[in-house]
Amino acid sequence: MRLLHHLLLLGTAALTLAAPKTTTLTLLLPGPPFLPNPNALPPSTHATLSALGTHHSAPLSVANAFTFSNVSAGSYLLDVFCATHAFAPLRVDVAVSAQEGQDLLVRVWETYRGNDWDNKGESVKVGEGNAFEGRVVGGKGYFVERSKFNAFAILKSPMILLGLVSMGIFLGLPYLVDNMDPEMRAEWEERQKTNPMNNIMGAATGQSGAAGGFDMAAFLAGSAKKEDSSAEAVAPGPSKGSGNGGGKKGKR
Amino acid sequence: MFVGANSAAPIVAWTDAEKSKLFVNVLGTKNRQEFALAPGTVSVEIHAPHLVQSEPHFLVHSRTATGNRADVYHINLKTNVVEKAYDLPELAGPGAFSTSSDGANVYFTRITEDEMILLSSASHGVLGRWPLNTKNSKASAVHAVAEVVKKSSQANSFAVRAAAVTSADEWTLIRNGETAWSRPEGMSGAVAATFAEIPENEELVKSLEQEAHSNPLEAYIHRVKRHIDDLQHLPAYLNAIPSRLISSIMGTEVSAIDGKLSRDSFGFHKLAILATRRGMVYGLDVGNQGKILWSRRALKLSKGDSWDVTGIQAQELTGRVTILGSNGDRVVLEADTGKIVDAVAPGPEKSVQSSAIVDTVSGQQLLPVGVDGQIGDLPSDQTPRQTVVTRGSDGELKGVIFTANGSSSYETTSWVFTLPKDMRVVSVATRPAHEPIASIGRVLGDRTVKYKYLNPNTLVLAAVDDKAQTLSVYLLDTVTGQVLAGSKYDGVDTGKNIECAMSENWFVCSFFGQYTLRDDTAQSLKGYQIVVSDLYESDEPNNRGPLGDSTQYSALNPMENPEGPSLPSVVSQTYILNAPLSALKVTQTRQGISSRHVLAYLPELHGIVSLPRMILEPRRPVGRDPTPAEAEEGLMKYHPTIEIDPKTIITHERDVVGITKIITSPAIVESTSLVFAFGIDVFGTRVAPSFLFDILGKGFNKVTLVGTVVAITAGVLALKPLVLKKQINSLWKAPM
Repeated sequence: MRLLHHLLLLGTAALTLAAPKTTTLTLLLPGPPFLPNPNALPPSTHATLSALGTHHSAPLSVANAFTFSNVSAGSYLLDVFCATHAFAPLRVDVAVSAQEGQDLLVRVWETYRGNDWDNKGESVKVGEGNAFEGRVVGGKGYFVERSKFNAFAILKSPMILLGLVSMGIFLGLPYLVDNMDPEMRAEWEERQKTNPMNNIMGAATGQSGAAGGFDMAAFLAGSAKKEDSSAEAVAPGPSKGSGNGGGKKGKR
Repeated sequence: MFVGANSAAPIVAWTDAEKSKLFVNVLGTKNRQEFALAPGTVSVEIHAPHLVQSEPHFLVHSRTATGNRADVYHINLKTNVVEKAYDLPELAGPGAFSTSSDGANVYFTRITEDEMILLSSASHGVLGRWPLNTKNSKASAVHAVAEVVKKSSQANSFAVRAAAVTSADEWTLIRNGETAWSRPEGMSGAVAATFAEIPENEELVKSLEQEAHSNPLEAYIHRVKRHIDDLQHLPAYLNAIPSRLISSIMGTEVSAIDGKLSRDSFGFHKLAILATRRGMVYGLDVGNQGKILWSRRALKLSKGDSWDVTGIQAQELTGRVTILGSNGDRVVLEADTGKIVDAVAPGPEKSVQSSAIVDTVSGQQLLPVGVDGQIGDLPSDQTPRQTVVTRGSDGELKGVIFTANGSSSYETTSWVFTLPKDMRVVSVATRPAHEPIASIGRVLGDRTVKYKYLNPNTLVLAAVDDKAQTLSVYLLDTVTGQVLAGSKYDGVDTGKNIECAMSENWFVCSFFGQYTLRDDTAQSLKGYQIVVSDLYESDEPNNRGPLGDSTQYSALNPMENPEGPSLPSVVSQTYILNAPLSALKVTQTRQGISSRHVLAYLPELHGIVSLPRMILEPRRPVGRDPTPAEAEEGLMKYHPTIEIDPKTIITHERDVVGITKIITSPAIVESTSLVFAFGIDVFGTRVAPSFLFDILGKGFNKVTLVGTVVAITAGVLALKPLVLKKQINSLWKAPM
């Protein structure tokens, strides 16, 4: 392949002394770490070399390369079009070298679309026979996976977990209490009474905790007697105007 | 005419100009032999074996206008004399022959309109005969290649399979007379297509009309009678319910009941009528994965000719489709059956430049425009109400209006728009005929309104100068021919595809550009670009421009304001794309409420992309993050590149090749637009630019919904006794 290129180049060099010079470019596909199996690329994969007024297109060859022949001097945009993978665009400059009778000089950089054309990226090494390697950006995903019904995912959600735990307590606690031995149960119930949390819950279920220190429902309703006196005591405080409203509200 | 056959006795064969005689020369000899052909022969084909060891026999297949016959000749290897062995009777239709050789034996397979016949080259005895079963397609084979296998078990038993091209442009495999498969390869050369509504039941329409025209009591009795008559469909309807329910839950498409074409409530079920350059017309069922409902040869073309369709129009009222060709030919078909109602044969030369769908007194009509832009006199019921824009003989644009003169009307050129020298038109885009506008303005973040410039009489004209490599885009007023807006792009590759599309108050143009920026000459660009331009009534929000709130407007008499006609304010922005675009088209929805997408074919990537208008927004802030007010409007920061996201490619991974045109049509549901793309491949789909907001998508899992309801019901029923027990227990417990 390489030899053939050389021959071709020699041939073109010999033939086109008078005519405007052209050269052959070869874009190689990157190897396994970047592109696991270049042979699996679809046959429609091709590369184009475009500039104002020129357009070259090259199909993917058996050697996993795109070969552009008869490229004259100029600055080109090289794109690889592939259905399964995205490739980085390249800037290819084919320049007439300073010395007479020499081959055209090829330099390649990465380029960024939408940026200044002279804003070149990393230079790409151009090997023998004007061969250089392209860069794969990644695979193309055409589909968005539709979220499926998954019982486990629903069970994992925190809201469902909370619900399950509370249901477990709701159903399981009475049995636990029933199965306790009497002494321990008495002790537990005693502790329950002093537990402020239990009072709150107790008030909600209607088992008003008479022995409890704080009655939430009664407080919210403003019907507690003990608080009244304390509120009265506090009311003649520093801020009379604003404090009064609260106090009176408490009375009613 | 024919050179070849097996190497034992290769022949050269030719006919005279009248196709009355056949001359055969066995290569290597000097004498030529003459055979008479059947009178009226139009074409002759010679079939000869290609193997060295096969017998030197050949078959001459001659076709007349109505039928075909064949003569089998043997070559004497010693004397090189060609003599006729036997002939096959003339049968109707074009017919196809094919040669196959098995060792020394040469077999000829004849495919006629209703039979497949196997013959040996040695004698006229029929070795095998199979009735042809082509599954209700009436096409007959035109050319075939066959393979003959001699079954070893029986002495004279053969199996034949033949690949044939039929007169209906189908590519089919016939195995012992049975059609194994067939492919509609003729659809590959599509040149024009249109959407057509499925014609509604005419009887119902008639009876409804009848009711409307009779007195109320009679109408009422008629209606009750009709409803009683309708009860006979009830059992069938009830029968269909389970299958419909299941298919609805499983998410499969509901197919038409008992194979009858009917509209669906979403408006997805339409017909696509497709005309190919080979003169065939196809009717495709869009709602049923593009099933071919009918195919019809509309035009007989001679070899090498192609049908240049200038216009196609589907009329909903009559359920007919009119196709106009460039040679003055005209075909009218019924959309649902493909029956040809009216046909005008093509003339000898090109007489029609293009055609336009115009509004006339008698509804929408397809109006042919002559080669040099002349339309000619028209009867008054076919006179267009609008100005018709045509192309003159020198490439200039002309606005043509019609003036009534008794029962006919004559054309008058109202304006001419001549392009500068060296410029040629590459693309013309107009607003689609069906385009409802949901909102006449755009509400900005600060609650002010920018009013859209919504002039139905506008067109976008893109012209290039090949020498200077510039592209000029003009917005023309089609009533006056005035340039409303214009822009010029330097460094445009005129050899690559340049295309424009227009919708509502904006238009897009796509091209390959390589130029230095005008505002920053240090920077240059290279790549495929798309320019989007918005038209507003004035630069400032809340300002309706010189016309203000006036309810009427005339483009011809704009003299009331001294500044001349009101020109739109144009906001443009250019984006660089990572692939070229072609066949631009904007989605259409019923009310125009859904956002619009620009559909385009990607010639390099072999797919169709759907670019959201939100991305192609010229008012995206450049060089800064959007302010909260702009963000509220949905504007993102301007980024010069649009990398085509594979997820916006509506053809997904399919390789869709050679699309030349995309057409869109609204469905009944607002969210959805029907898309049909044709060219070499044919692709149809539905798109929902603002997602499916009015119907349940396929992602809606009805099984889960039903399952959840059942599970919750079961849970409630199971927990009820437990909760009841606990409540009673707690009530009975003494307070502690």
